[in-house]
Amino acid sequence: MELSALQAASLADDVYALTQYDRLDDAILFLSSKYKDSFNLSSDNLIKGKTGGPSLLKCRTAFGFALLGTGRFKGHVFLLFRGTQYLADWLTNFNIGVSRSRYGNPAHDGFNTAFKSIEPQLSQFMESVRASNIHSVHCIGHSLGGALATLCSEWVHSAFGIAPYLYTYGSPRVGLIGFAAMCTQKIGCDRIFRVYHKTDVVPCIPLWPFIHTPNIGKDYYLPSPGFLVGAEYHSMKHYITSVRGKEWNALGRQPERKSDEDIAKWLKTDTPVNMTSTVLEWLGHAINYVINKCASGVSWIISGAASASLTIMDQLAYIISTSVNLAETISSWVIFLMRKIMRLLGHQHIVDSADMTHEFVRGILRKLQQRVNQIAQSALSDALVNGRAI
Amino acid sequence: MSLGDVGKVCLFSSMSGAIKLDGKPVPNALLKRTVKFNKPKTDETRTNEQGHFEFPAIFEHTVTKFLPQEFVANQEITLYYQGEEYRMWTGVKRTPEENAESRGEPLIVECELSNQRQLKQVNNSPIISLCTWSAEADQVDTGF
Repeated sequence: MELSALQAASLADDVYALTQYDRLDDAILFLSSKYKDSFNLSSDNLIKGKTGGPSLLKCRTAFGFALLGTGRFKGHVFLLFRGTQYLADWLTNFNIGVSRSRYGNPAHDGFNTAFKSIEPQLSQFMESVRASNIHSVHCIGHSLGGALATLCSEWVHSAFGIAPYLYTYGSPRVGLIGFAAMCTQKIGCDRIFRVYHKTDVVPCIPLWPFIHTPNIGKDYYLPSPGFLVGAEYHSMKHYITSVRGKEWNALGRQPERKSDEDIAKWLKTDTPVNMTSTVLEWLGHAINYVINKCASGVSWIISGAASASLTIMDQLAYIISTSVNLAETISSWVIFLMRKIMRLLGHQHIVDSADMTHEFVRGILRKLQQRVNQIAQSALSDALVNGRAI
Repeated sequence: MSLGDVGKVCLFSSMSGAIKLDGKPVPNALLKRTVKFNKPKTDETRTNEQGHFEFPAIFEHTVTKFLPQEFVANQEITLYYQGEEYRMWTGVKRTPEENAESRGEPLIVECELSNQRQLKQVNNSPIISLCTWSAEADQVDTGF
């Protein structure tokens, strides 16, 4: 059976403290005080790993904690992953390229590298509990930890033939469509609980073609005050408050699927746009829609088959700029898209198809990516000036 | 708040207190404090004749780290007395505000070294300690 939203959120929060203890007796005291007799502890519990940031900033850090259930959680394993404490972890998040996940699908290279570095310890832990007749595995994480938990869920399915439960809070997007679709299919969308606040900036990144897992079924969308995305509602404190006393059923919703007509209409309208999660979601759909018009491009990008030396954004720019001359119908959509992005970036220039060089498109996409990344930073500097918690 | 306070976080609030062993004051004991945020920082003090001690607050500026992430600072105080080592305080501070460990009040502790260490969580910061202090503990509900 799945955990409650509060149970999973408490573990996603407490893994931050758990990974700080140097001594096992402290972790045992902590867990027995807060979780009564739910867990059985051994020295294999701490998962360490190496982040995938630039080599200069690599550091060893504790990424998670593995627990074996006892009592009414007998036969349950809990694999907990924590978010970004070190700058290196965060740089991992922006280190955009793709590499192959366990099932050979394109996943964010930074997350994938971080996960692979802890895989040996996870294997060792799973080996050590083999005799306990494991029937349920819970992969849980917040922030970067949500990304690791997602990759871990695929790994658990592949290595042990168990479909785990996956719970993420404020997770960034982990992979391209191939990854999200296969992970969702193998695990089952009814076992995946992706929880996010409306104004949490982290689930908005990386931009399309990265998408969330599950790609079908419910998500667990929590209202939060305001419209613009920022850092405040990324904190576990708010996630715990938002889910307390609520059942999964009450939290879940079927995300609104946008039709091609809706997307086309949105692209054509010339209204002002701001950096809200809704606009960023529309923009993801719109890029997808336009790329699809650019014929062969889409399968090339989303399969992750293109050269590893090109970033995703470079590939997008290449496809868009080479497609603009193919047909009048395509070039008009490309122009609508570029105008929309430029409006979001605060540019007022009028562009036409002659402007759509590779450099121009690449420059606009770069700026878009930088702007979204900056929001995370400026939002947080506000939070600190106001003395609020990170 | 001045510009110099931007990004200022409190890793360990100022602490004062009295140390006893079997009800008697513990004079001239060595207290070593370590706090880990980005890099570990260490300082130390000694109890006076009455077993009293104090530590100043430890702050850090994190202007390069305006990123959406959880605040996590490790706190450790070990006391050395008559050849024995006592793990007086092991905390994980989870909010950057000063005096979060004592709900905004000055942190004043009483430590009986023969006590068992216990977990007390204040402002979501779990502290394993043999000391007592007046702050009300969190109502912990993990759903388990």
